[in-house]
Amino acid sequence: MKKREILKLFDVGYRYSDAKEDEYVLRYISYQFATGTIYAIKGKSGSGKTTLLSLISGLEKRYVGNIYYNNQELKKIDLDKYRSHDIGIVFQSYNLLPHLTTFENITLSMDINHSEIKDKKGKVLELLNSVGLRPELSERRILKLSGGEQQRVAIARSLSYNPKLIIADEPTGNLDVETENEIMQIFKRLAHEEDKCVIIVTHSDNVSNQCDKVYELKTKK
Amino acid sequence: MYLIKQAWLSIIRNKGRNILMGVIIIVIAVAVTITLSIVNSSNKIVKSYEEKYEIQAYISMDRNNLMNSLREDNATQEEMINKFNEIESLIAEEITSYGDSKYIKDYYFSYNLGIDAKDIKEATDSLIKETTETKTEIKKFGGANSNERPSFPGGANPFESKKTTTTKREEIKNIKAEGGAFNLIGYSSVTSMTDFISGTFTIVDGEVFSDFSSSSCVISEELASLNELNVGDTITLVSPKNSKKTYDVKITGIYKENSLSVDDMNNMFTSSANTIITNSHTVGEILGLDSSLKATLNPTYILNDKEDMEAFTNEVKEKGLSEYYTVTNNLEDVSSATESIKNVKTFALTFLLITIIIGVVVLFVLNTINIRERRYEIGVLRTIGMKKSSVIFKFLVELLIVSFISLVVGAGIGSFTSVDVANKLLEQEIKSGENHTDAINENFGKNHEKMDFRNINGSVNVEKIDNIDAIVDFKVIFELLGIGLLITMISSMASCIAIARFSPLTILKERS
Repeated sequence: MKKREILKLFDVGYRYSDAKEDEYVLRYISYQFATGTIYAIKGKSGSGKTTLLSLISGLEKRYVGNIYYNNQELKKIDLDKYRSHDIGIVFQSYNLLPHLTTFENITLSMDINHSEIKDKKGKVLELLNSVGLRPELSERRILKLSGGEQQRVAIARSLSYNPKLIIADEPTGNLDVETENEIMQIFKRLAHEEDKCVIIVTHSDNVSNQCDKVYELKTKK
Repeated sequence: MYLIKQAWLSIIRNKGRNILMGVIIIVIAVAVTITLSIVNSSNKIVKSYEEKYEIQAYISMDRNNLMNSLREDNATQEEMINKFNEIESLIAEEITSYGDSKYIKDYYFSYNLGIDAKDIKEATDSLIKETTETKTEIKKFGGANSNERPSFPGGANPFESKKTTTTKREEIKNIKAEGGAFNLIGYSSVTSMTDFISGTFTIVDGEVFSDFSSSSCVISEELASLNELNVGDTITLVSPKNSKKTYDVKITGIYKENSLSVDDMNNMFTSSANTIITNSHTVGEILGLDSSLKATLNPTYILNDKEDMEAFTNEVKEKGLSEYYTVTNNLEDVSSATESIKNVKTFALTFLLITIIIGVVVLFVLNTINIRERRYEIGVLRTIGMKKSSVIFKFLVELLIVSFISLVVGAGIGSFTSVDVANKLLEQEIKSGENHTDAINENFGKNHEKMDFRNINGSVNVEKIDNIDAIVDFKVIFELLGIGLLITMISSMASCIAIARFSPLTILKERS
């Protein structure tokens, strides 16, 4: 598959609103991300990993420099639509809705996306299968699932509308090594077999070692 | 559509929170329904009262004005009496002319005539001189009671009205001290018999004649006892100016006077002892027999609308009403009769306002707590791309569903409760209305039991509310829903602002 550039950061800088004028968390970051590749953004605590992910996912707009998605400046596009159509976000704490079942959590994303999929049940089972979950878990409430299962559901949810870009923030941070490897297998398959661009923010060497490319963030002084 | 589905899922999966919210809204809804029902039923009662109540105008001699005028001129008592005697009485033609007006629905009148009676002793009290004077006045004008305005349910009691009558009598006594031994009052219709309607007179034997063209009369029990007269006997009335002019009337009933003033307590006989009550036809016949007799006419006009009062007064003056006469009305009585109901309504409205304020504050606080608890959910929804407006809509739909169900339940409970509560609060009005009607029927004697006196002279019935429909109608339901939704909307403002201001990143960081 031919890889193509999907996301580009050009001289991106960020500082908190209450920080001093030159106290940037991120300074002059210029990265490129392409489809069919799995990236790791590594760094110590406080290096701005999660902040960078927030900027990429359109959750934070107060930054300097430019971020381009498919050559469109991120600041100029509808970020709600961007998050519900173009990118899938996976969090360390899964961020699923506990009052809903697995099936309902996944279809909620489809609904927000205004997905035209008719057989939602079939699609959900297909997604669960792709992340290694048994079909019977689809009707189970989220809080009755293990951490690994919840993270799989979160990944399935992020894939429900077939985005090109998957962004994961410490996706295996709460999981054991065995589960971590299983999750990484899913991400690798998504990148290499389904031509998605997967960006994983992590401080784990085990994770970064399995990625195609690693960007390391240095702690700013 | 999916937002409504999500809202519904959120409600049924978070039962505890929503039940708590629902219970509070139900309590508010019950309070609001009861209050609205009271306001509504008060409005209906006042409206029905005003619709049923006959707006009346009376034409009578303006004695106060005349007395003041004479006093200013330093007139002697004799001059005053002469002046009073010079004033022409109202005549039947005048009354008919004033009654022929577009403002008038109906009118009636009563005659007062001094008369003698053959072989009948008058009830005189020889022990107290003052009594004799009083009676003299009654003989001539004693039907002054008929000038009184009626008493009202929940209004003045009959003893007060009697006092006024006594004062009038004294004044009248000085004006005309001639005429027969008895005071003959001729009523034009049952509605003009204000003394019976107000309860001043009550039938103790027989009944009030129902045929107003018959030669019938009712007499006082003192007169009956003194002369050993009974129902069915015939008495012969004699012109005081010409003893050859006589007229026979049959006694159909015997009445007693109920209201005695303090002055009357000193007397053996009541002030009305020598009053013979008949109909206007009979008085007309007697006046026809002896043209030298002069009767006093007391007309009562029933207006179409209270707004017409001023126009009618002006019209009467234009038609030539003497300057010594004045047009009075019962408008004050209408408003005083409904005053207590209006007070209940004011109290209910104040309670409603307080309930709404408390409702808004309590729901505002609950919603704020609710939103703070659900920051995570909001963060997740925003992160996966749900628009702020959609999140707000989802939360509002949740609140509206809970509110609507609670309002319906509250309205149901409130409807059942409000019947008793409204009845309790309006008990006084209901009782006085019922008692008044019963009393009027009794006053007229047995044959009048089935007559409908409810709408006569202010004796309007406040009917007991015995079903929910009577007070909780669609108006109340719509008002409740309107107020409920208003409370919900105002109290949800905090949620909407919070949702709009929440940064999903901050929320999710807190969670992490």
